[in-house]
Amino acid sequence: MPEILLQYQDEIWRSIGETMVMVGVSIAAAILVGLPVGTLLYLCRKGQIYENPVVFSTLNLVVNIIRSFPFLLLVVFLIPFTRLVIGTAIGTAAATVPLSIIAIAHYSRLVEQSLLDVPRGVVEAAISMGASGKDIIFKFLYVEARSGLVLGLTTSIISFISYSTIMGVVGGGGIGDFAIRYGYQQFKTDLMMYMILVMIILVQLIQFTGTTIARKIDKR
Amino acid sequence: MISLHNVSKNFAGFQAVRSVNLTIPQSEIHGIIGASGAGKSTLLRLMNLLELPDTGEVVVNGQPLTSLKERKLRQARMSIGMIFQQFHLVLNKTVYENVDVSLKLGGMPKAQRQKRVMECLQFVGLENLKDKYPAQLSGGQKQRVAIARALANKPQVLLCDEPTSSLDPDTTIGILGILEDINKNFGVTIVLVSHEMDVIQSICHRVTVMADGGIYDTVSIKPKGISKVSSDPRNFFEQLKKGGEADDA
Ligand SMILES: Nc1ncnc2c1ncn2[C@@H]1O[C@H](COP(=O)(O)OP(=O)(O)OP(=O)(O)O)[C@@H](O)[C@H]1O
Ligand SMILES: [Mg+2]
Repeated sequence: MPEILLQYQDEIWRSIGETMVMVGVSIAAAILVGLPVGTLLYLCRKGQIYENPVVFSTLNLVVNIIRSFPFLLLVVFLIPFTRLVIGTAIGTAAATVPLSIIAIAHYSRLVEQSLLDVPRGVVEAAISMGASGKDIIFKFLYVEARSGLVLGLTTSIISFISYSTIMGVVGGGGIGDFAIRYGYQQFKTDLMMYMILVMIILVQLIQFTGTTIARKIDKR
Repeated sequence: MISLHNVSKNFAGFQAVRSVNLTIPQSEIHGIIGASGAGKSTLLRLMNLLELPDTGEVVVNGQPLTSLKERKLRQARMSIGMIFQQFHLVLNKTVYENVDVSLKLGGMPKAQRQKRVMECLQFVGLENLKDKYPAQLSGGQKQRVAIARALANKPQVLLCDEPTSSLDPDTTIGILGILEDINKNFGVTIVLVSHEMDVIQSICHRVTVMADGGIYDTVSIKPKGISKVSSDPRNFFEQLKKGGEADDA
């Protein structure tokens, strides 16, 4: 183990922990809110079972607006909201607010895309069998779109890691913040390189896991 | 029994079906034939309200579908099976699961479902392939799964939209045989849309000819039998030779 890593091991472990918290909360937000929002985007589209131009255009616009912000500006813009929800705008917990919001917008779009890839005929067959809206979603759409949903989540998680690296601006910490403060700003280039290596390994691992699962569950 | 009273459907101003009146009695195999774009599929899809009519009334199995509330309509649809040219199976479900799902929709307990799924798969001769996925099956086998799925809830009516149009002649014969058996054994009313005269003539008792969204005529015929659908390679050869001579002339 290189000496510099041993020297900073407490800070390194803490920053890895902070990244895990930020990315973990983002993933939870993506699944718990992004998945339903993406499903609603799909279902309210023209020609779909709950066609509703008002709901669709509203959701579509909100998702687009969130995604068009440069992320750093979104974080700043959300400070009052974050303070309202968490009580403070500084720290790892506060950082999870803007991260969750971008996570929801990001994943919901990918969910919508995966659902659009399900052949229309499958939904029609479901309707002809007497399926309810809930049945169509859970017994047909999600089953047929499952590998796309997993691949989308994989892509999203990797983006969340990337977003989390700039949360240092609001004291969110994390691996990226550590690499910048200790590695870059204190000219410890080797420390910075090690941290980048950690990120690379993390991303590789997630991509590999996601791709493998998606392939395993895809019977099409 | 199916009755359509003055049923019309337009798509963005295009009149796909124009004030159609049609009654199909219980246990009839009713063919619908016509040129591409004549409105055959639209008429069929009006029979389970997959398309909502602009005017008119659709009555199936004594129930006026057009005036049912959503929950009742879903229940009514469970007694109206439907199969499609492109099968529309769930590709991430096994053969077994594809049939099972239609029973789950009706809330049948698991033990009963198991029995019924196997009955249906045996009926179409696929019990040995129950754990395969659709991607591992031939076109004819996929259509059999779709038939088993449509039969699972013991429907009184089976709607078929070009069920053999993407299959070869031998496979077509197999599928038509199954449809005829369903009609004979269970008294299921079958509506068969096709643009192939051979297919229509083989098993239908009455045939409606459609043109420009309307009914041109409905006639009773004597089914010629499934063996009359040409699968014999000599038939292809004869037809090719005829074509060749026409070219020579
Ligand atoms: N959802 C739709 N939106 C717009 N136009 C439609 C729609 N469905 C059908 N049509 C039009 O209605 C007409 C009748 O279509 P339909 O599918 O019923 O014909 P068909 O007789 O089944 O033809 P084919 O033999 O090609 O299947 C066609 O001109 C078609 O373009
Ligand atoms: Mg058609």
